[in-house]
Amino acid sequence: MSGTACACREIKSREIEIDYNLLDKIIRVDYGGNKEAMIMMMQAIQQVYRFLPEAAVQYLSQVIDVPTTKIYEVATFYASFSLEPKGKYILSVCTGTACHLRGSGGMVEHISKRLGITPGKTTSDLKLTLETVNCVGACAVAPVVVIDEKCHPKADISMLNDFIDHLNAE
Amino acid sequence: MKVLNIVLNGKAVTAKAGQTILELARENGVFIPTLCDSPALEPAAMCRLCTVQVIEGNRPKFVTACNFPLRRDAEVVTDSPEVRHGRKLIIELLMARCPTSPELQRLAVDYGCDLERFSPLNDDCVVCGLCTRACEAVTGRTLSLAGRGTAIHVDTAFQKASAFCIGCGACVQICPVKKIAMEDVDGERRIILHGRIASRVKLPRCTSCGKYFGPVIDLNQVMERMGERLIPPPNATICPECSRRNLAIKLGRRHFEQYGVFEEEGQANAG
Amino acid sequence: MTEAIQTAILPSEAAKIMSPEGLALFRQELLSGHDPNAPLVLVCCGTGCRAAGSVAVVDKFRQVLSGTAWNGKVVPMIKHTGCHGLCSRGPLVVIEPGDLFYQRVTVDDVEEIVNKTILNNETIARLQYKPANSKEVISKTSDIPYYAKQTRLVLKNIGKVDPTDIRDSIMRGSYSALAKVLTRMSPQDVINEVADSKLRGRGGAGFPTGLKWESCARQEGTRYVICNADEGDPGAFMDGALLEGDPHSVLEGMAICAYAIGSNRGYMYVRAEYPMAVKTLTIAIPQAEALGLLGENIMGTGFNFKVTISTGAGAFVCGESSALMASLEGKVGRPRPKYIRSVEKGFRDSPSNLNNVETYANIPGIITNGAEWYKSYGTQRSSGTKVFALTGNVNNIGLVEVPMGISLMEIVFGIGGGIPNKRALKGVQTGGPSGGCIPIPHTIPDINVGYGKLAEVGSIMGSGGMIVMDEDTCMVEVARYFVNFLFQESCGQCTPCREGLIRMREILTRITQGQGKEGDIELLEEIGNFTNSFSLCGLGTSAANPVLSTIRYFREEYNAHVRDKKCPAGVCKPLFHYEINPETCTGCGLCKSKCPVKAISGEKKKTHVIDQSLCIKCMECYKGCKFRSVIIK
Repeated sequence: MSGTACACREIKSREIEIDYNLLDKIIRVDYGGNKEAMIMMMQAIQQVYRFLPEAAVQYLSQVIDVPTTKIYEVATFYASFSLEPKGKYILSVCTGTACHLRGSGGMVEHISKRLGITPGKTTSDLKLTLETVNCVGACAVAPVVVIDEKCHPKADISMLNDFIDHLNAE
Repeated sequence: MKVLNIVLNGKAVTAKAGQTILELARENGVFIPTLCDSPALEPAAMCRLCTVQVIEGNRPKFVTACNFPLRRDAEVVTDSPEVRHGRKLIIELLMARCPTSPELQRLAVDYGCDLERFSPLNDDCVVCGLCTRACEAVTGRTLSLAGRGTAIHVDTAFQKASAFCIGCGACVQICPVKKIAMEDVDGERRIILHGRIASRVKLPRCTSCGKYFGPVIDLNQVMERMGERLIPPPNATICPECSRRNLAIKLGRRHFEQYGVFEEEGQANAG
Repeated sequence: MTEAIQTAILPSEAAKIMSPEGLALFRQELLSGHDPNAPLVLVCCGTGCRAAGSVAVVDKFRQVLSGTAWNGKVVPMIKHTGCHGLCSRGPLVVIEPGDLFYQRVTVDDVEEIVNKTILNNETIARLQYKPANSKEVISKTSDIPYYAKQTRLVLKNIGKVDPTDIRDSIMRGSYSALAKVLTRMSPQDVINEVADSKLRGRGGAGFPTGLKWESCARQEGTRYVICNADEGDPGAFMDGALLEGDPHSVLEGMAICAYAIGSNRGYMYVRAEYPMAVKTLTIAIPQAEALGLLGENIMGTGFNFKVTISTGAGAFVCGESSALMASLEGKVGRPRPKYIRSVEKGFRDSPSNLNNVETYANIPGIITNGAEWYKSYGTQRSSGTKVFALTGNVNNIGLVEVPMGISLMEIVFGIGGGIPNKRALKGVQTGGPSGGCIPIPHTIPDINVGYGKLAEVGSIMGSGGMIVMDEDTCMVEVARYFVNFLFQESCGQCTPCREGLIRMREILTRITQGQGKEGDIELLEEIGNFTNSFSLCGLGTSAANPVLSTIRYFREEYNAHVRDKKCPAGVCKPLFHYEINPETCTGCGLCKSKCPVKAISGEKKKTHVIDQSLCIKCMECYKGCKFRSVIIK
């Protein structure tokens, strides 16, 4: 996999199929149309589409009557939101203090070099998004890498290489 | 309303409970520089330029004058060496971010700033938030402060031209570093920031003369918003009042000349 | 895909408890139906052990136990529990009765455990704990020095209860303090008791909790009880363990607070990076409500308290109370510049009592046992106990709970088991990115842990992250790490924090890359002091602490970097290289075999040599050499 993020922008501008019934369920039913729950609504929407499509944000804005510019402000403030499509796999390297002391920085560098992307970005074939996360609380088994919410303890470069090779073969 | 005894820069004055230090200072002719403050808007205390020292009890602490409410007898020092040193750093740091602001340049002279200290960041914004707060006060639908930390910046949703802007120009006028521009081109008003068109507003056409016109800006409101933001330079020969009026006139001329609606006021000296 | 954990479902015959006496009766029923001599397997499923595979161990136990012929014997129960504490030895399994401690248990050990230990009462030595310099095993968890030297009050239920089965918690006393409060104490009585206990906020600032409750209770308007579970300090996982392991202690604390201050509404703000905690709470709260212990008409007394879970979305700054409340309102987590405290105007501009998870978890114990009991632990100015997450270069990594006033050396050596690989202790960092490095034992021989004492040496108590650093740690790099962290997490609205962090990061990065300039250290001090004085919120006013404290105690190390372009600890790659000391090298060849780029050459029993042009400074030879012959130059 090589990577610039240009494919993401293409997808973003292409028509994403938005299921408005599903959005209604999330916004009106699950969270009662309550403005205060906006962040959780956005998280639920992102769960569905793996990012926040602009059309979904526009719809959310209309339903709960919050300006799109305010939703954009929230989406760009919190690290867990993405306005660009994420990859099939999300690889998070924990950069908390305990993991950092055990070399997580080197792992981030290594993956960045191998895949040609920086943390926060996705490979052009949309297979993998690289992220860093600040402490998942598994300090005893540092350094920790999380792939799709599964914690991999005592991760090292060879384990990462195996994973990337496996992904390439897919 | 409870009356408080405040010692302001060594002088005994009285204040109303709940008054901010900035209000008290202005009442007593004490000048405190501000950047992100505007009389028309709630204080944001973001620039921290108005920081002063207050002593309630025994320990002095640094607080921002624009929003610190006086609630008990206290001593206030607006210009101690520590305060001046902090302001000097604020100006140096903001100049590194936005070197072309005349107002910051004037402050830099006043505080003896070393403008070579910090490598330039070449942004065109001092992140005072005035434009977003002004926009919020009008329609609240166009500008917001997106991003976080060093990446914080004024933006429109998805960096696209806003469909909700009404072209009032409040953001243009309130920006202390004059980095937001407004252009009327071919029947369309454009607000430009960060080198990008942030909004496009279709201008109506006068049914009488056929010219395009935009929202009429109430000069009184403009002057309110300008408020104390104009900092008199050390060698000023006219007062802030006249300076304000002249600037408003200049601004008005720039915007309204083409519509011919602006009337000439009696001018004193040029400011 | 999250791993599925079987959750206990409340029996359908569980009826709402309609009186505080009803709770006591329910507990009696549960206890009488529970045989303390029946075999019970407690498998730790805290984050650390889970990452090491403990969930598979639970599944294997279930499988093996259901497939075993019991021949009339009592069938053992399996419970998955929260964090047992000694994370570095996980996955941990404790077998009752007898408090038998097994460590590093894998799926392959399960059958043997069932056959030998459960069926035949035989212990398996290789799975048992042995102290560092002994072959004698220690069977009971409570006899292991790591545990024996702790004072586990807040953590008392974690590891013993299944957090998804409220009956376990009730049997151990959960909600009995709430029952006491609702029957025998007035709201003012509760506030007085908490104030008398001198409990101080465990989130880091150490504000007296009773005083906070008192101030909030006095306000007009709807009052809110908010729990700050946005544990963002990297290396801290106390709150996560509490929520995942004993959620009811926290919920009960919040309910007692609500009663005391006159609130009916609670919010639990949990950071996005703790999905397991959210999941556990999502099970625990409805279970409590179903039994009438939370929600409407609690225990039939007419007192209502509803708790809602709200999640963060990845912003460390949301641990700051006004930012947290903004986030609860669905807005950006930017701290508010107001000089009006949140107990007066907070969430929805209403009086709000915000406390940390651990603070609430202390409340049931204080109510049940009294303020005097609580003050019998700790010191005059810092009463009670504190939970720390002990990590870094220490043998026993995990959660420890100790009385305030305990010495730091006792924590590191007595409980932590000292420094691995025969390295020397260089310092201990407390308080995360807002704290400082305490240079024990060289500059400061020891220090008793307390709010005031830690502040005196330029650090803070913080939320409980305690990072042990050995001689191989570069303090300049540590400062750079924390500044970089805050640089990413700062909200950016105020000049001193945003610009101060940009510049401090710039300078520290240059220094660690060998481009330090004359005047850099002084500039760091100037910017640091400025940021700490002029920033808008707590993140900014403590942002420079790691920088200022490391400069204060390790200035020589900074000088070496800036003046000599050297990193004495051997961390900043452009500033050191490895050489093999010919006087001590035995020619064993271990380094040569470990080197991933074949940069070491040498014959057997002859001095080996590193080819500097190939060396990538990966540290393998340095860490591995048994004779410490690889030296930093």
